[in-house]
Parts: sequence; C-alpha cells; structure tokens
Amino acid sequence: MTAFFETPFFGVALTILAYWAMVKLQQKLKNQLANPLLLSIVVVSAVLIIFKIPYSAYDMGGTIINMFLGPATACLAVSIYTKRQLLKKNWLPVVVGCTVGSLTSMTSIYVMCKLFKLDDTLTMALLPKSVTTPIAVSISGAHGGIVPVTVVAVIITGVLGSIFAPLLIKIFNVKEPFAQGLAIGASSHAVGTSKAIELGEAQGAMSGLAIGVCGVITVLFSLFIS
Amino acid sequence: MKILVQFGIIFGVCWVGYAISAALPFSFPSSVISMLLLLLLLLFGVLKVDHIRAKSNFLLSNMAFFFIPAGVNIINYFDILKSSFVQIFIICVISTLLTFAATAYSIRFTLYLMNRRRAK
Repeated sequence: MTAFFETPFFGVALTILAYWAMVKLQQKLKNQLANPLLLSIVVVSAVLIIFKIPYSAYDMGGTIINMFLGPATACLAVSIYTKRQLLKKNWLPVVVGCTVGSLTSMTSIYVMCKLFKLDDTLTMALLPKSVTTPIAVSISGAHGGIVPVTVVAVIITGVLGSIFAPLLIKIFNVKEPFAQGLAIGASSHAVGTSKAIELGEAQGAMSGLAIGVCGVITVLFSLFIS
Repeated sequence: MKILVQFGIIFGVCWVGYAISAALPFSFPSSVISMLLLLLLLLFGVLKVDHIRAKSNFLLSNMAFFFIPAGVNIINYFDILKSSFVQIFIICVISTLLTFAATAYSIRFTLYLMNRRRAK
C-alpha cells in the first residue's frame, strides 16, 4: 500500500489540491481566520495521519515544492523595487518605525522565551516571527530554529494582527493613515496587509512597504545573534 | 520559452546567492542574499522588471503555497508544539501588541519632530 505513495507526484498533487480547496474556501467565507496556508497544513497533515502515509513519502513531493522557496523569497525584491518611490519619499519615518518595530518584536520575544524557559531551537524559531514567512523561515533555518514552528508562529501572528488591527488602532489612538499602515505591516506582515488594504489605500501601501523594510532590518539584527 | 528564460534568470541569481552564502564566515540566509542581489540588479538597471515579470508574479501570488510542506513538517515536532503551544501563543499575542504600539508611536514621534523642524 505504501508503494502507492512513494512518488513525488503524490506529495505535489495533494499539496496543490489542498491549497486550491482552501483558497476557494476563504473566498467563500471571507474570514481572516480561514487562512489558506494554515488550513492547507492542517488538511495535508490530517490526510497523512488518517491514512497512515509515512512523512518520508509525502516529502518526496514536498522537497520539490520546497525548492521554490528560495526563488520565491528572491522575488520579494520585485515588490520592494516597485515601491522604491514611496520609500524614497518617506524614508525617515519608515526606517525609524520599522527599526523600532523590529527591535521591539525581537527583544520582547527573546525576553518571553527566557521567562518561559524555552530552549534555543524554539527561541530561534520564534525570534523572526513578525516578518513575512520567506524571510522568517530563512533566518530561523540559518540559525538552527525549528522551521515548521516558525511557519506556524508567523501565520498565528499574521491572523492575530489582521483581526485586531482595527481595535489596536482605536486603543493606541493612531490617527495618521501612514502610521496605521506601517504599524500593521511591521507587526503582522502580509496577512495584516490584506486587512490594511481594506482600511484604505494609504494604509495598504505603507503596510506593504513595511513588509520588505522590516524583513531586511530583521535580517540585519539577526546577524548579531550567535 | 520566455517563461523558461525567466526561470533561468531567477534560479541563476539564487545559485550565486547560495555560493556567496556558503563562502561567508557567518550564517546569513542565502535566499535573502539572492533577494538583495536581485534588488541591486533591478536598481542598477542590469535587469528590468519585464525580464522577470511573469515568473515573479507566479511566485509572489502563490507565495503561501510554497510554505505548505515546510509547515506540514510540524507533524514531526508535534510533541514540542503540544507541550509549548500555550507559551508560543502568548508570545505571539504580546509581541504583536508591543510591535504595533512601538511602530505607531515611533512614527508619530518622528513625524512630530519633522513638523517642528519644518515650522522653525
């Protein structure tokens, strides 16, 4: 029976099918909680567990999809490049905001990991979790963090940010659309940005810009972790 | 053929990024080096967005898909996730709150300083 699954076609087909179905589901539900990436991970994992399919069989296809992670991350350059005018015009508040935001994120996570006595592989996995998945995963992997935990933490953060963004704007009384967008992008990356776009054009653009800038700044900070 | 060439350009950049990362004495993610390389090539006009548009649109618009296998790997770390999930969740909530507030307030402060300087 296992031989049936021992081919890369199985993993690739299952992953595409799960993702397609979950994207359709979100389009129907229009709810941030129905995050297609999170649900696809749950669905694929459930299929493997229920049908007792060995992870190694799934990973024959998984490895092929993984190969595209690097190129996909590199393509973030295109989205940063297309926003270069926006960055040029507002570079000072954007760089200050993203630097303070990234530093706050990493410091608060580090302190809490120590408080909860989590080990180094978990701490490293969580440290970059406020930036976009491709960059967070690269940092976590390069420093020995547990990559799948990073993926889960990044999604939880994004979903939390997109749900609570309107509430946080009220609590902290953030009036400037500019600051609203950057704060959303810095704290909850691409998933938050989809919410920022709903709040307004300026918020959406700044949130999108914050994804790239915070990503690069977080990589630079991570150089100091050994 | 056009898409194939675009694939070639991006995979080529990633290959150079990997080589640089392997040569560095400290650990720096190779995909981020590739991203910075690609950004430099675009900024200096060596590459035009048109040269890689189709392929980069494909990768960027399906970004989440490529992370599914990395996430499914969590089934091998189920015990760790189960024993630390509450802590991980608390960390996500509090750090998201703090990051949001710190970013918003630091921008407000910067804008305030900039306006004051302009007023003088």
